[in-house]
Amino acid sequence: MKNKKNSIYPLWAIAPAFIVYTIFAVVPIVISLIFSFTDWNMERLYAPEFAGIKNYIQLFQDPVFLKSIINTFIFAICTTILKTGIGFLLALALVKKVAARGILRTIYYAPCVMSITVVGVLFKSILANKGLLNNALSLLEMGELAKDWLASYGTAMGSVIFVETWMWAGFNMFIFLSGLQAIPADYYESATLDGANGWQKFRYVTLPLIIPSLTVVVTLSIAGGLKVFDIIYVITNGGPGFDTQVLSTYTYQSFSLGFLGESTAGSIILAVIVTFISFAMNRYFTKREVEM
Amino acid sequence: MKKRTRGEIVLSIFLIALALLYIVPFVMMILGSFKSQAEAAAFDLSLPSEWLFSNYLHVLENGNILSGYVNSLIITVPVTILSLLFGALAGIVISRRNTRVTSALYYYFIFGLTLTLQIASIFFLLKALNIYGTFFSVICIFISLRIPFTVMTFCSFIKGVPREIDEAAIIDGCNFWQMAFRVLFPVLKPIVVTNIVITAIDVWNNFMIPLFYLGSSKKATVAMSIYSFFGRYNRDWQYVFGALTLVVLPMLILFIVLQKYIVAGMTSGAVKG
Repeated sequence: MKNKKNSIYPLWAIAPAFIVYTIFAVVPIVISLIFSFTDWNMERLYAPEFAGIKNYIQLFQDPVFLKSIINTFIFAICTTILKTGIGFLLALALVKKVAARGILRTIYYAPCVMSITVVGVLFKSILANKGLLNNALSLLEMGELAKDWLASYGTAMGSVIFVETWMWAGFNMFIFLSGLQAIPADYYESATLDGANGWQKFRYVTLPLIIPSLTVVVTLSIAGGLKVFDIIYVITNGGPGFDTQVLSTYTYQSFSLGFLGESTAGSIILAVIVTFISFAMNRYFTKREVEM
Repeated sequence: MKKRTRGEIVLSIFLIALALLYIVPFVMMILGSFKSQAEAAAFDLSLPSEWLFSNYLHVLENGNILSGYVNSLIITVPVTILSLLFGALAGIVISRRNTRVTSALYYYFIFGLTLTLQIASIFFLLKALNIYGTFFSVICIFISLRIPFTVMTFCSFIKGVPREIDEAAIIDGCNFWQMAFRVLFPVLKPIVVTNIVITAIDVWNNFMIPLFYLGSSKKATVAMSIYSFFGRYNRDWQYVFGALTLVVLPMLILFIVLQKYIVAGMTSGAVKG
């Protein structure tokens, strides 16, 4: 009986998705796994020779690679904390009936539908030596704070983290908003009847019930942060020097220099990190969710 | 009307000030696009002493912005339609058949959500298939990247649609196609919208894949042409601001008009993902 019912849904309907996905997403990762153990380079594109774990050893001996791992984690952790925190605070503020909240929501959300190249170029004019930010600082008579923001490691890294937060805090705000609005009002009413104050209501009603949204936001932000490429490429291009290089820009750079073996080894390391951390985060948070 | 407390007023003022900070870059951009070179390079919020509409003429003639729009459409439209179509069909069948094979296929597709882009290997694959530098190759890569999400969202959404609808349609003489498109798609409208919105925005804004695999500047998308325009004109901020405005304004207007769908689509997409 079940088979007869299943025959309504022909297996060949899966074929287009299966074929495109297999060729362009799965095959490349298999190629990477195999070729990362060879001396693959641009001249020997079709004739790489087995080289054991040489590429991996070379990567871990390269100070720029080690720094790019550290930068990747700094970027992912800082942006996740900021995007999540600010997004949550904005959601808490805008779930209330404040003035013009529709317009405010739109404004906070808008940056994330924009192309990163647009945002990147725009922020270059803000962060430049004679840019808008320094002009504003001197106007406020805080001129001594003005500096060439993209010219040294700390401020350059801070700048890209700031721009990423600016782009995505509003997006996270909306995920939290839909989570907050899903909490039934009578939960708060009965908490009030039980004599809970504002903080207690937040701690024992809002927080536990917002965990599913938090799971989504944090998992998305961490994975996105670890994979970051374009915002770094456009704003600092890994500079000054190689100071703000992250894993994706590193693998792209070694790819464009023709070191395909090293580049794929780097991609594999990134893939392992992303997969491992995404699963770990998801498990950690899923345990903490409560049923509504 | 209810009287607002002092706390609410302070909060409102803070939120409005923050919103102004969000708008400032765009105000500078639009004003700057009408200024002379020296005025634009001052990076401030003053009004231009003379409104130079001719900046836009220069940008349109030299910026490849219009061809960028055409190229972005050539990529975004097929990717959006095909990834939706392929992913929906696969999602419907996988979720409805519910056998060992299809659940293995489900995890095979879901695995793609954690994949990272294999820059060098995809390059090699495209060279070996002799399609490097074509729109076709970039469209295929984008579809393969979107499919895991589409399959997952359709699988989870269709579980909430009763099987009886399908069976009634088949008894009424529909074949699989008619059932999928005439009967199921209207029921699945929210998830269809979600997928269209997320895919279209994601592909339109994507900078990495065209940069890696399109090669020639003739095929540059909007995102790429802005970047190369900035590279060529980084001393002429009035032109850079003009080019940015030509890219940002249509996007902003589209966003404000379709805001309801975009926000609902992206948010529910994230929550399901």
